[in-house]
Amino acid sequence: MKFTDRIHLTISKITSNQYNVWLMRVLVVIGLGWAYIWSLHGLKVNPELIKTSLPYMTDFLSRLLPPDFSILDVAIKALIETIQMSLWGTTIGAILSIPLALLSARNLSPTWLRWLASLIQNVVRSVPSIILGLFFVAATGLGAPAGTLALGIYTIGYLAKFYQEAIESVDQRSLEALQVSRASWWQIAQYGVMPQVLPLCLGYTLYMFEYNIRAASVLGVVGAGGIGFELVSYIRGFEYNKATTMMLVLLVVVTAIDSLSSQLRNKFKVD
Amino acid sequence: MEPLSDRNLPAIACQNIRTEYQSTLQRPILNGIDVQINHGEFVALLGMNGAGKSTLLRSLVGLVPIQQGEIQICGTSVEQRHIGEVRKNIGFLFQGGALVDQLSCLDNVLCGCLGELTTWQSLWGFPKSDRRVAMQLLQKMGLQEQIYQKARQLSGGQRQRVAIARTLIQSPHILLADEPTTGLDLSGINQVMESLAEMHSRGLTVVVVLHDLSLATQYAQRAIILDAGKVWYDGDCQNIERQFVRLQSLSQFQSANAA
Repeated sequence: MKFTDRIHLTISKITSNQYNVWLMRVLVVIGLGWAYIWSLHGLKVNPELIKTSLPYMTDFLSRLLPPDFSILDVAIKALIETIQMSLWGTTIGAILSIPLALLSARNLSPTWLRWLASLIQNVVRSVPSIILGLFFVAATGLGAPAGTLALGIYTIGYLAKFYQEAIESVDQRSLEALQVSRASWWQIAQYGVMPQVLPLCLGYTLYMFEYNIRAASVLGVVGAGGIGFELVSYIRGFEYNKATTMMLVLLVVVTAIDSLSSQLRNKFKVD
Repeated sequence: MEPLSDRNLPAIACQNIRTEYQSTLQRPILNGIDVQINHGEFVALLGMNGAGKSTLLRSLVGLVPIQQGEIQICGTSVEQRHIGEVRKNIGFLFQGGALVDQLSCLDNVLCGCLGELTTWQSLWGFPKSDRRVAMQLLQKMGLQEQIYQKARQLSGGQRQRVAIARTLIQSPHILLADEPTTGLDLSGINQVMESLAEMHSRGLTVVVVLHDLSLATQYAQRAIILDAGKVWYDGDCQNIERQFVRLQSLSQFQSANAA
């Protein structure tokens, strides 16, 4: 046997060895540990700072209490606006997501088109909602319309991906069975694709609606309407008790919508 | 079942068919297949994994394009422009049933008649007469309790019986079944095979891909064994086990030679 052959044999022995699996696992753990330590180092955390900052935190929190319910009507009005923004923002985003999802689905589109569509998805997803808010405030002025448009675009980044995955999870053979039964393109879509895709997509859209209510409260910070606008102006004016009311109202609504939409989503799953 | 225009033409005729070259296999999956199956035959299609059984079956309904040769179904050649006419004669059973999980059993069976309906006719549901036929078929399959259940709630055997009802509603002349018993328990296997035998006794041509040689001997009259994309044995079912032993020792001999 030649020397190089012997080396090859040794290498293949090592790679086929089951100890090698353990070696891999140990390496992964070491790698992860290193990443955590490296990240902590990058954050420049000073334990001393945490100790001295504790009084400031308690001071801030104590000033939030008790909530001032005299502005409840303002809070509810702002909240309703937030929900309206989320409803329209989610709908606009959902409609725009459909073609993008179709174009990026593995089982529908050629590779180059999928590549392009995923690129668009990633670009949209990597823009923070605050930036979108600022952009639309610059375009349409302060207020809810800017926030609604920002939510619409923000929604595409997520729903297009979710829809795409729903489309890709369709059982290909069930469609072939319809094809062999001589079903038309529309019949395959109606009886094969829709029943499999629709429940998933409705569930995702509901989740997005709920998520957008929270996202809309952040958009208010840059003046794009919704509850965040009032929230930030109270905090800036040191009226912390009023800000608490705002947050409590938001908490109640987010909880209510969360339980409602999770019930609805469960219903879609069962049916 | 509509009467056939000419019963003297073979149900299935394959002439030297080849599929696209596969670089991983270093050959086409189907590599020159010549087979003729007449009306009323019950044929078991056998072979090792990767021999090309499923591909052959799928090529008969135009799901796999062929590169060379010709396939004729009841005298019509399998080409894109005649595909509707070809598929009209054929019912196809997929492994696992290939049902739409979210639809009820009834709707799944009704999907079998989509080819007879225009898009407009099926847009708001199915005609009453078709629904009645579908219900009768489900009853005949012993699924009267499951008519309105979603397909996902069924057992493997029940799924395959819904799939059989779906092919029967098209009243085909030929039934192609791709491993219809895989993953089923004993009673499921028996029910599916008995349904196939019953269809055969009513004059259907049945071609079924099987892994179980004893099932093949029990139900089929003719066995076709494929190996490496070619027909390796074509004959009666009496001595197929011996044929398989020969095939295995041959392939072991070949792989020993190659190494």
